[in-house]
Amino acid sequence: MNVIEINNLTKMYGKARGIEDVSFDVKEGEIFGFIGPNGAGKSTTIRTLLSLIYPTRGSATIFGKDIITAAPEIKKDIGYLPSEVFYYDNMKVMELLKYSASFYKKDCTKRIKELADIMELDLTKKIDDLSLGNKKKVGIVQGLLHEPKLIILDEPTSGLDPLMQQKFFDLLEKENKKGATILFSSHILSEVQRLCDRVGIIKDGRIVTVEKISTLKENTYKKFKIESKSLIDKNLFDIEGVNQLEQDGGTISFLFRGNINSIMKNIAEIEIANLWVEEPDLEEIFMHYYEKEE
Amino acid sequence: MNIFLHELKAYRKSTMIWTLSLVALVVLFLSMFPSFSKDAEEFKKLLEGFPVELRKAIGLSVDSIATLIGFFSYAFLYLKLAGAIQAMNLGTSILSKESREKTADFLLTKPVTRTQVVTSKLLAALVSLVITNIVFIAATFMMASIVAGDDFNKEALFLISISLFFLQLIFMALGIVISVIFPKIKSVISVSLGTVFGFFMLGMISSTTEDEALRYLTPFNYFDSTYITEHASYETSFLVTGALVIIAAVSASYYLYGKKDVHSV
Repeated sequence: MNVIEINNLTKMYGKARGIEDVSFDVKEGEIFGFIGPNGAGKSTTIRTLLSLIYPTRGSATIFGKDIITAAPEIKKDIGYLPSEVFYYDNMKVMELLKYSASFYKKDCTKRIKELADIMELDLTKKIDDLSLGNKKKVGIVQGLLHEPKLIILDEPTSGLDPLMQQKFFDLLEKENKKGATILFSSHILSEVQRLCDRVGIIKDGRIVTVEKISTLKENTYKKFKIESKSLIDKNLFDIEGVNQLEQDGGTISFLFRGNINSIMKNIAEIEIANLWVEEPDLEEIFMHYYEKEE
Repeated sequence: MNIFLHELKAYRKSTMIWTLSLVALVVLFLSMFPSFSKDAEEFKKLLEGFPVELRKAIGLSVDSIATLIGFFSYAFLYLKLAGAIQAMNLGTSILSKESREKTADFLLTKPVTRTQVVTSKLLAALVSLVITNIVFIAATFMMASIVAGDDFNKEALFLISISLFFLQLIFMALGIVISVIFPKIKSVISVSLGTVFGFFMLGMISSTTEDEALRYLTPFNYFDSTYITEHASYETSFLVTGALVIIAAVSASYYLYGKKDVHSV
């Protein structure tokens, strides 16, 4: 079942582009990474899903219900953490969280305490006096306190130190195991790599690809670097799948995509001093998607 | 209900300050009445020396100034000014503060409709004004009995003083619709002061001319004290105009707020 279904969603700001014909689905129980550089349209998509802004064209459903007409009903089961959190300054943390909880028809007090404990958040402080990171924690607790079925995170890690980030990810994984679906937008790929099942890559307001993380890695190049005492015959690598061949004295490096056996046979003919075969990290794959388009 | 209570709490302080200020103003004005009425004839002569346009502009009526109602009506012009600023402030800030303080994301991702948000906030503002007016009218009547004993037209005093509430409703509605049409209001106070003083000036100008049509342009002149005192009622055409302004402004606010895009910071 799809928790989120987006069909040709388009948002124009006057003549300026927001997003164009964005379509993808998020399945129940998965962690979906939504990747793109700043200004690609991640926030626009998310804000449209939350009916903070209204689409110019296209439609989307969450839990099978229309995002506009059923917005208040859908939001009962959504937890949202914006990239920058701002709250009513003259309130104490606990007051704010209780105000937030009062919108959901259940008692969240225990859950608030639990979450505050995990995130090491002082509930008695005034929001005014909190640092950026601590405000972010308020945002996290605020987004999760009603045990939402769908968690939407827009660049959630800014301002959190690595330790807290780890705790936050553990928390997300726990929620996910309990059945929550997560839409996670980010421009930092390593975050997504650790957490997500699938990613959608967005560029200039359009979806470039939606792939499983595993497929994304399989379908890509491996980086080879070979060092030899003698000069390597370049022609050995004149086979299909080899790219960006570079030779520098006794070293040769290239990218390879295809059956690994065929390349290994050719490499076996060389007197090898050293050999590196590397998986490109997601960052490089990502760059690849971007460069390809240009 | 929770938004309503939250808003009410948020405006507690400002409502208290405005209420106390209005009470202080009315106490100050009315406490001058005894010494004024003692030398009423002298004052009248002095006032007659003023150009008639000026007297009209500042709401002075030589015939009635010696009575409590007449004296109060004169002071009421300035109470109206203060009350209008309070209401306009309230109206302008109640929706726009969410985007100014960037809390709109918090509120509008909760399971509530935008209509519910507007309704709760409107009700909270309304209750704040009702509280202000109850206290204000009570203080007015208390002061009136202190300075004039039982010797005044209670009905007229009540009708005049409660017209502050109607005036405030109009300005609150104007404030709300302005804040929805111009969502990027940086400073509420400058917008509300500007608007209120604009209408106040217009009111003064319209008072000096006998042009009835001009009166419709400024809510300050919808409730004429002399007419209220003489007829013990309001002028229907102005009541209707006031109601129409409120209805139009509030409906427009609902409509626009429901449709607008809430942008991130």
